[in-house]
Amino acid sequence: MAALQTLHLAHLPPDLAVHVALYTDVRNASFLRDQLLQGNPDFEYALVDASVILSTTHALAAVFRAANDHLKGRLKSRNVHSEIVFSLGANNNIAQSLRTFGITPTTTNLLAIKLSTDPSITSSTISEHLSASIQGIQVEFNDAKLAGLNNIAKIRKLYKLGGVGEEGSKGKRRRKDGTVESSGLVDGTAAKDAERERRELEVAILGLMALRGAV
Amino acid sequence: MISLGLEGSANKLGVGLIQHPKSGGPAAILSNIRHTFVSPPGEGFLPKDTAKHHRSHVIRLVKQAIKEAGVKVEDIDCISYTRGPGMGAPLQSVAIAARTLALLWNKSLVGVNHCIGHIEMGREITGASNPVVLYVSGGNTQVIAYASQRYRIFGEALDIAVGNCLDRFARTLRISNDPAPGYNIEQMAKKGGCLVDLPYAVKGMDCSFSGILASIDILAEKLEKRKGEGEKGWRDEGTGELVTREDLCFSLQETVFAMLVEITERAMAHVGSRQVLIVGGVGSNERLQEMMGIMARDRGGSVFATDERFCIDNGIMIAHAGLLAYRTGEVTRLEDSTCTQRFRTDEVFVKWRD
Amino acid sequence: MDGPSPPQPPLPAPFTHTHPAPTLLTQGAEALLYCTYFLTPSHPCALKYRPSKPYRNPILDKRLTRHRILSEARTLVKCRREGVSVPGVLALDAEGDGVSGGWMMMEWVEGKTVREVLVAGAKRRKEGRDDEDGWEEGVTALMGKIGRAVGRMHEVGVVHGDLTTSNIMLGPLAAPQQNGVTTNGEHMEQVGEGLGGEIVLIDFGLAGQSLQDEDKAVDLYVLERAFGSTHPEAEEGFQEVLKVYEESYKGAKVVLKRLEDVRMRGRKRSLLG
Repeated sequence: MAALQTLHLAHLPPDLAVHVALYTDVRNASFLRDQLLQGNPDFEYALVDASVILSTTHALAAVFRAANDHLKGRLKSRNVHSEIVFSLGANNNIAQSLRTFGITPTTTNLLAIKLSTDPSITSSTISEHLSASIQGIQVEFNDAKLAGLNNIAKIRKLYKLGGVGEEGSKGKRRRKDGTVESSGLVDGTAAKDAERERRELEVAILGLMALRGAV
Repeated sequence: MISLGLEGSANKLGVGLIQHPKSGGPAAILSNIRHTFVSPPGEGFLPKDTAKHHRSHVIRLVKQAIKEAGVKVEDIDCISYTRGPGMGAPLQSVAIAARTLALLWNKSLVGVNHCIGHIEMGREITGASNPVVLYVSGGNTQVIAYASQRYRIFGEALDIAVGNCLDRFARTLRISNDPAPGYNIEQMAKKGGCLVDLPYAVKGMDCSFSGILASIDILAEKLEKRKGEGEKGWRDEGTGELVTREDLCFSLQETVFAMLVEITERAMAHVGSRQVLIVGGVGSNERLQEMMGIMARDRGGSVFATDERFCIDNGIMIAHAGLLAYRTGEVTRLEDSTCTQRFRTDEVFVKWRD
Repeated sequence: MDGPSPPQPPLPAPFTHTHPAPTLLTQGAEALLYCTYFLTPSHPCALKYRPSKPYRNPILDKRLTRHRILSEARTLVKCRREGVSVPGVLALDAEGDGVSGGWMMMEWVEGKTVREVLVAGAKRRKEGRDDEDGWEEGVTALMGKIGRAVGRMHEVGVVHGDLTTSNIMLGPLAAPQQNGVTTNGEHMEQVGEGLGGEIVLIDFGLAGQSLQDEDKAVDLYVLERAFGSTHPEAEEGFQEVLKVYEESYKGAKVVLKRLEDVRMRGRKRSLLG
């Protein structure tokens, strides 16, 4: 079984560690969600539905934004952890983002994130609490694992990014003579195309998260 | 060598005498006098009345300038006059005076570009060797830098000049035109402090002011309408304070000067210069000088500005620029001694600089 | 240039913690461009920082900074999702902390600017070091790619506002090419690789969304002038930019017609560089 991962994001103060744990086959999502709704302080986590997370960068970009707003005293939601979930959204509607990206009663793939906003919050305290609280299988937090859990079609729909990076989309255009020319960066095998598609989707999502509705 | 300069492109009539020592070194200002046509509050100066003003004062001013300078007519080498740009009628009346003097005393004529006059006088007075120049007046708004024998215009106002914007707002508020509408706006702005929202119109190194004028005119109207409401009147959303006429002057200055400093900074970054010289009537505004100074300081440079004697239109700058050209052998033949309302700064071949 | 570059304002938090510190690439009047990394050292990115301007009224300063960061990001995001080759937006902070301005992080673009490529090429040819036949054809192909990229940008309704050869990047080739190595041992320039790669348009600080033919024509005019002043040897090749541009989207012909008007109005100003 994989263990809790502790990361240090670039630019953030070294003591503001980011702790991440990814679970599959979660059986007590309802209970966990209730703890959030009741504001149980022991459950101050960002609990994210991993099926709408494209990649580690996708999730961590939201952490970065929330942490920056936290450091500047500009949080719009209750705490830095709800702000992480809010920061995944592409608009200013906090409730909607929490509903869309946060844990739901039917969530089975769960990403739990916590920041060391206080020296008493350490890897071991979190680890202990999570293993006692979450009923599921802990797996490693990486792009390959997320790719096996997420639902790309759903992610496209959430961000209204139908077609971005896909074959035959505006990114690639057909010349009059029928040959395809690429305005993207990589060309070649199917694997490379898939990789290109994922990257285009990721950069489009990061852009929308950064703008947060200021379009 | 001595040059007598005549300026009358707008509502100021200026006569000045300058001497360039043979040995080089700084120029000597022998005299520099001015008479301004002041229109009543709420009115601008019209070409016809301005021309009449210049015609009726030019002889007296020339006599007085020569007397103050303590020179004899024989000592004068050339008569410099403003060819343009400016208002047609007043330009013409001064050009006629210049031609008459040249014929009467048998002197060479030198037609001078008004903007070049400002730039060269600014350089002479401040010692700025190769600055980016912000030329701001009632008729012109230009950001200028020198390169290979020309003063090149990097940015400019695409519609009305910044000074025109300020003057016209002074008319809206019916502020006095004495000594100058811009000066009175500046004094009122010192008592303002709340910033009302105005458009900010910078595009690259260009800018425009007519939209801002339209907006502030509307706000002035709103203020006028709600004046009777007393404590219930128009309050600023941020501070909760009642908005005043002084606040409008403050906001207008803060906005248009920020635009000017921004385009100047962009030109400085473009040419890699650290000096900035402000010339033209608006250049005598102390808030503009202060803002430009902060910008220049942050770029590790400095701002050069002159006082109202040289900033505001004057005869000495025409005398000076005319003499610079005259010393390179340039003269304007009588049949060519016209004037023109449009005369771009970059049309002049600057022979006297490297 | 009068001496060294102007003093740099310090970067705001959170970049005060960044290790190693971001490297300054260019310092414009409005913004400083740094090279740093996004969330991990393996993810390089560009950081554009718009410092607050102490000469401006603080309320106005905040308003402008916010507006400009969001406007540039908005344009980049739109371009990228519509298939115009531009760096993607990774993160931004348009609010600043009230004292230090705002910033935006963008994808890192590998390669050189078209300006650098053309200037280096012209220099090599002048010195007679590069007499391979491929150069002329290479330049023509490059011009075509530029025409297509600009055409695509205009097609989606974006005007750049400052389209010079310094704001067009030429990425490296996807596949490695054989390097032409100069005889000059000091700097090993890669001659053969010089003109390949993808075009990426950068610096949308003055860009906006516009469907006006006039704005698009001015974009082309600015680019034409940039070629004329900086790369006189490539001026003829500019025809190829227009040729490919013309074929690149439906409205292009009207814009080229408008370009003639813009040219006729002509050198409203004589700007160098």
